[in-house]
Amino acid sequence: MNGFDLNRAYSVARKEVMHILRDPFTLVLALGLPVMLVTFFGYAIDFEVRDIKLAVSDLDQGPAARRLKEIFTSSGYFIPVEAGSGTVGMLDSGKADAALFIEPGFSRTVMGGGPVTAQFIMDGSDNSKAAAVSGYLAGIQRSAAFKLGGAATPEGLAVETRFLYNAELNSQWFTIPGLAAIIIGLLAILLTALTVAREWENGSMELLLSTPVRPIEIIAGKLAPYALLVLGGVFFVYLSSRFVFGVPFAGSRPLFLAFCLLYVVSALSQGLFISVATRQQQVAMQFAMIIGLLPSLLLSGFIFPVESMPPFFNYFTMILPPRWFMEAVRGIFLKGAGLRELALPFLALLALSAALLALALKKFKTDMEP
Amino acid sequence: MKTGPALEVKNLSIKFGDFTAVDDVSFSVARGEIFGFLGANGAGKTTAIRTLCGLLVPSSGSALVGGLDFSDGGKGIKKIVGYMSQKFTLYNDLTVGENLDFAAGLRKMEPRYAAERRRELFELIGFDRPLSTMVASLPGGVKQELALASAILHDPEVVFLDEPTSGVAPASRARFWNLIRKLTEMGKTVIVTTHYMDEAEQCGRIALMSAGRLIALGSPEELKRGAFPGPMAELDFKGTEDVEFIRSLEKAPGLLELFPHGMRWHAAFRDQAALSAALTGLPPSVSSRPVEPSLEDVFIRIIEGAER
Repeated sequence: MNGFDLNRAYSVARKEVMHILRDPFTLVLALGLPVMLVTFFGYAIDFEVRDIKLAVSDLDQGPAARRLKEIFTSSGYFIPVEAGSGTVGMLDSGKADAALFIEPGFSRTVMGGGPVTAQFIMDGSDNSKAAAVSGYLAGIQRSAAFKLGGAATPEGLAVETRFLYNAELNSQWFTIPGLAAIIIGLLAILLTALTVAREWENGSMELLLSTPVRPIEIIAGKLAPYALLVLGGVFFVYLSSRFVFGVPFAGSRPLFLAFCLLYVVSALSQGLFISVATRQQQVAMQFAMIIGLLPSLLLSGFIFPVESMPPFFNYFTMILPPRWFMEAVRGIFLKGAGLRELALPFLALLALSAALLALALKKFKTDMEP
Repeated sequence: MKTGPALEVKNLSIKFGDFTAVDDVSFSVARGEIFGFLGANGAGKTTAIRTLCGLLVPSSGSALVGGLDFSDGGKGIKKIVGYMSQKFTLYNDLTVGENLDFAAGLRKMEPRYAAERRRELFELIGFDRPLSTMVASLPGGVKQELALASAILHDPEVVFLDEPTSGVAPASRARFWNLIRKLTEMGKTVIVTTHYMDEAEQCGRIALMSAGRLIALGSPEELKRGAFPGPMAELDFKGTEDVEFIRSLEKAPGLLELFPHGMRWHAAFRDQAALSAALTGLPPSVSSRPVEPSLEDVFIRIIEGAER
């Protein structure tokens, strides 16, 4: 008598599938969101900074100054713009993002083998752009020192940087797999919150509970179809990562699936909790949007690295499943990390999912009285 | 066929925190009876019904449903009762067949048995549309009948109907009550709540609840005789109420109760002699005729008496 009846849970699941099939909103959301997000982050949003408009004030007009300008433009990051009078003014008006000042006598000093300086000014109002450019500058400086100074540059001083796992620093490699976290977070929480809240709202939950069906069977039956739907979204992300954006998949697929399942459980539990607490679709939807979207988008490391957050938020993200899932997804995709390397995220996600599930079930069971 | 009462409720109380929704209620319902719960919203009817369906566990007192108690948390009771709630009938976005299949699945009915029961019940309620009909496209009365079929698909001994006819057209209400009577003819016990007095008249016995307490219990006849042992007259002032006359009538010996009834007044007396004495020499503008007290009159009197 005690225990879980698969047949009853299956009846609930089958009914849920029919609800889904007849509800255009759920279907469009579940199928459309992954496609939309992948398109957005794959094509529209590019975290790389290119085509920086560079105004050059060349007061030297010598060969070394021309070489220096070439080095900047051939890097691919900068495009020269005509510098009239008032180079700084071009920064103010936004006609240029950066300016390069070459003093008179630049070429002569270079020829003489002495130390030279050229001034580079960057519009710092967009700090993410400025940060990216300062990274490029280091490379350009090295290249300039070598090309202008020629053999005079001591070989031993040349610094070589290699980026592991994502040698080209391709930002899509970084973002697209991470979309799995956003899609699971948002879809699973939102759809679960809505479907359970709907049963409360129209009074049918009471009818279900008046039959021998157990609460756990209702939950399992109602949530299983959404778990599959959401995993379908993740599969889509996987396929587009691999075959559209050419992201390497270095790790183990079963491990990836295991992480997905854990994270799905945590998200479904949150959705369940929201629906029991709110009992109204409208309110549940608002909560789900906030709880589903904000942590996975902003506090998971998806866009802003967790390490560079202030200490409070750095620690705060530890209780958020998306942070751990994001770490695992990138580790598995790009680094080929295994369970040993991902032990901490795995255990953290396991603990969080178990805690959230227990909390949601407890709330559901004790709260059956409307 | 089991013996013993369908319901045996003793000193039942149900509390939510400090709030007592059902307060020390005792009654018993025989098998095959139509038992009505009446009372204002919040009087405790729905809570009592939900408890007897196994949805809530009594805070104190005891309740046996079909001979089963709550020692298993209401699981056994859930198997032998059918419940139709006032809020929800059937899933509108599913077909008739899908709804009934779902009900059968929750009760773990054999598919063949479920199909057989479905045919029987369709015949009972006179439903002859295809199974693939979307519930949303059905008229309210038909939906209500199908909801009943869904609630009793598993052939329960006791059927609980919480305001089954609210929001349904009068003709459909009459049809629905025919169904209720047919069920009791088949040996089912039906517990029903309603706000309609004409429906209350059709119950075998009525339990009247107010503020969680059971304040009257009996057949409609018994309740009427209990509240108004003597005769009742209806006074028609033909539009112009004679305040003077009403004042004097209030003081008449043997008057039990004088109260407005729509455009007219009802006067209840202890016996026929008191009625005759009070109503001789009526002003010409007032006409009088003997009436049977309505259940509404009865309830007003009982509830006012309970509040006094």
